[in-house]
Amino acid sequence: MTDAHAVTTVGAALAACVATRPDHDYVVCDDERLTYAEADRASRELARGLVGIGVGRGAHVGLCFPTGSDFVVAWLAVVRIGAVAVPISTFSTADEVATLVRNADLRALLTVPAYRGNDYVAALGRAFPALDLAVPEPCALVDAPYLRRVVVMGGAPGVHAFHTDAGLRAAAATVDPGFVDLVGADVGPDDRMVIVHTSGSTSAPKGVVHTHGGLLEHLVVLNELRGLTADLKMFSNSPLFWIGGMGYNLVGTLVAGATLVCSRAEDPARTLDLVERERPEMVNGFAQSVAVLVSDPSFEARDFSFIRTGNLYPIMPPALRPPDPELRHNMLGMTETGSVALMESDESDQPERYRGSFGHPVPDLEARVVDPETGEDGAPGEPGELWFRGPNLMEGYYGRERHEVFTADGWFRTGDVCTIDDEGFLYFKGRRGDMIKTAGANVSPREVEPVLCEVIGCESAIVLGLPDAERGQVVAAVLIESFDGMDDDALRAALRDRLSAFKVPRRFLRLSRTAIPMLSSGKPDMPALAAMFDDA
Amino acid sequence: MPEPGGRLTIPTLLRQRAAEDADARFLVTDDDHLTYGQLDAQTRRVASTLLRSGVGKGARVGLLMPNGIDWAVLALGVMRAGAVLVPLSTFLRPPELHAQLVAAGIEDLVLAPTFRDRDYVADLCEVVPGVAVGASDQHLVEVPRLRSVSLGADLAGAARADGATTDDRDGARADALDAAVRPADDMVVIFTSGSRGAPKGVIHTHGGALGAVAASLGPRCLGRDDRMYIPMPFFWMGGFGGGLLSVLVAGATLITEAEPEPTRTLALLERERVTLFRGWPDQAAALAAHPAFASADLGALKAGSLDAALPPGLRRATGVRSNLFGMTESFGPYCADPLDTDLPEGKWGSCGRPFAGTEVRIVDVDSGAPLPAGETGEIQLRGPNLMRGIGGRRRAEVFTADGFYPTGDLGRLDADGYLFFVGRRDDMVKVKGTTVYPSEVEAALVTVPGVQRALVVDVDAGGRTELGAAVVLAGGVALTAADLARETRARLSAFKVPSRWVVVDAADVPMTATGKVDKAALQALLGAGSNVDS
Repeated sequence: MTDAHAVTTVGAALAACVATRPDHDYVVCDDERLTYAEADRASRELARGLVGIGVGRGAHVGLCFPTGSDFVVAWLAVVRIGAVAVPISTFSTADEVATLVRNADLRALLTVPAYRGNDYVAALGRAFPALDLAVPEPCALVDAPYLRRVVVMGGAPGVHAFHTDAGLRAAAATVDPGFVDLVGADVGPDDRMVIVHTSGSTSAPKGVVHTHGGLLEHLVVLNELRGLTADLKMFSNSPLFWIGGMGYNLVGTLVAGATLVCSRAEDPARTLDLVERERPEMVNGFAQSVAVLVSDPSFEARDFSFIRTGNLYPIMPPALRPPDPELRHNMLGMTETGSVALMESDESDQPERYRGSFGHPVPDLEARVVDPETGEDGAPGEPGELWFRGPNLMEGYYGRERHEVFTADGWFRTGDVCTIDDEGFLYFKGRRGDMIKTAGANVSPREVEPVLCEVIGCESAIVLGLPDAERGQVVAAVLIESFDGMDDDALRAALRDRLSAFKVPRRFLRLSRTAIPMLSSGKPDMPALAAMFDDA
Repeated sequence: MPEPGGRLTIPTLLRQRAAEDADARFLVTDDDHLTYGQLDAQTRRVASTLLRSGVGKGARVGLLMPNGIDWAVLALGVMRAGAVLVPLSTFLRPPELHAQLVAAGIEDLVLAPTFRDRDYVADLCEVVPGVAVGASDQHLVEVPRLRSVSLGADLAGAARADGATTDDRDGARADALDAAVRPADDMVVIFTSGSRGAPKGVIHTHGGALGAVAASLGPRCLGRDDRMYIPMPFFWMGGFGGGLLSVLVAGATLITEAEPEPTRTLALLERERVTLFRGWPDQAAALAAHPAFASADLGALKAGSLDAALPPGLRRATGVRSNLFGMTESFGPYCADPLDTDLPEGKWGSCGRPFAGTEVRIVDVDSGAPLPAGETGEIQLRGPNLMRGIGGRRRAEVFTADGFYPTGDLGRLDADGYLFFVGRRDDMVKVKGTTVYPSEVEAALVTVPGVQRALVVDVDAGGRTELGAAVVLAGGVALTAADLARETRARLSAFKVPSRWVVVDAADVPMTATGKVDKAALQALLGAGSNVDS
């Protein structure tokens, strides 16, 4: 456990762990093991290269890596010198990468060449036709003026060594090894640490800015609630490029001095092997993410009795599984609150009156349930919009002024609809807007609809979420005046080039314009539309 | 182009002004001038050059140069590139320069090699041995963030050069760069001396800073047709926000000079038909007292100028016109009524009313609870034009949970929303458990006939705090401590009346080396002063 004043920056938290437990594992991912000392050494060396290519304080560095120690080392390297890490989803398409490079003002982009059939070098070439990685010169793109350097880790055909980790090592050689720590010495809790992207209600994703001090302090609070201490191992498979993986897992484990166990194996049996071998006492994450583990034929024969706490009930010992999950306090998290915002430390079965509870706001957050029309608190039991305020909330959305994002008196309007009971327990009722939450990821209909129209050639499209036992919701699409003759599989294949897999609609409905159920306001009747899928 | 009422950025403003009237003058000095068209072209080249040399979004660029056209072009070029300008004072001594380079994380330093008796290259080398002027990619242990040091004259000269080639691609690149700067982006870090401790680096965004400037133009009577004289250094708020950026937002003309001297200044005011004189108050008084003043044709000057510089017929008694009140954290003034209009009676001596977009509240100094109209407490500010933050401090350390900035200033709002400034919170004194504002007592004392100046401080009297006053009397006046106490009692509540008094000659008021009243020496003086039991 690191002491309280040491955890104001990621660099300081890492140094504290190196001082007290250098050979303790920080991250175990499948066959990779990264101790705190090794994380420190490798990230310092990579940071040396970043200093060598001129990455300064506050510069934005994109990170496109799958879950694993390479991601962790790159993240630490960026933030220990006061630059800002901008994780990029490995699901991203060329269009999405290009948008993010521009909107987040990336100065450098570190990426693996490809992962699971996604070729990022080719995607960058499509997104930026003027980008020439064959010549050993910094980038100078008209349409991404701040992007100076692309670093393809491990290299790729047609990519000059200048634009690979070899180029970074050459730059590192110009920097005295001890100089990296001098560069990082001025990083403080108020410095921006990470920008995590989340699907917005408009077409462009929002970049949520968290500072070192804010995210670290929030995770100290969450660790206290969930009981994550230095002697524990935690298994979680939330992707590291979203807030669950970045905050709840990576930062949380670091400030606790604990061990994170994670996997990127495609074969569920391999992940189960890992869990069996590492024996994590705590398992956290999105419950649906382990459904695939439970359905593996090898699962029945496994003994996971070492798991003592967490919320991944399907893989927990039968005695710890709730007879009725709705009678356990649920958790609510969001990118803007630095992962979890509503939770209780009490993991026991609750009386019936708390059915569906999400507990209280965590101690560093204030919460209100507000009538969005009046801005006043509603009565207990009345649905209203959930608002948060607190010192560890996000600093804001990158590129947007504070007054566009927060109320004058500092509240963040979440867009989630909740009720609150007279004991202050909160109950989540859905999204105020139309955001679809599918398997832990946010999908905005307005992000998908224009792509549908373009690819399919339909007149217009309505994208909505349908309830789904496994994923929470699935993305569904109503295609209006589209009689293209493509079957659903062909449609999905065509869309996969343009949209991350999780954004591609799973179900389609083709309707004529006159068949759309309408409200008197002239807007489509969404519940009626959703019901039409049941009949389809 | 910004929409009406929309939030501004430096690039959009520069383009808009050039598009409206490229030949209009932006900046005039004693011997040179720059039009809006030239400003647009030259800042565009500076921005492109910086970008090519690797200066990125949000990178801190220090500027250490005297006032002049080069300063304006380089500063606006830096901000146009999306980098963050850090204006540095030409008065900084080497250790202060080092402290600000480190505190602001300056990556690129643009400087003048010398100015007057100062040698900035030598200064820099004193605190950063091994630094090379003109070199980039340096790794300097004394200032690890600093990578390049360049001469401002080189950068500005290249931007000015005729025939600087711009092919279509460069044009497209410059357009894309302009579009990449958003109102939410950091624009400037300005250092302000905190009342104690190290200077604070105050961070302002494009939208906030330019919003603050835009909100001030009406009350300051600055419009497109104005030619405003401001001699203040561009590296401080007065010259930077009140001068350069105010003129840019208004589309007006700025007249400045590096070294004001009454004869030259009068000639400049006359030649340029200056409409607004916003120099230093004592400078205005010196001009008015100069033999050449009577014969100078200052007929273009209008109300809203400093009073002393106006023809006698346009002058007003002290306090009749609103004070212009602000601070670095609010990017200059945030409160004033129109400076060319008399305040309503009963509002004399006030700072008028807060500008659009800025909320002012008064809170109890101890509890932080909002106070009703008429009560004195700390002035707190809120609104979209306020600073984003202070370097090295988390937002929660700087702002209250409900978004207000505690200014450290004391004041009161009357029932009509007029703000009266009372003093600095640091100057507040507790006497017998009651709060006293020395500035309020000083203000009352100078209304006593025969009192020229009054300085009020707290005095430690054997573990007990008493109020002491040092008073400068007009020639030929003889007032005793008892007389002064009696006169004060007639003007203030009993607990605000000083119990210790000294009468001093004007020349004997203790001063510090930086020209401020030496409070400690004053306290020692009053500790030995005559005691009048009130």
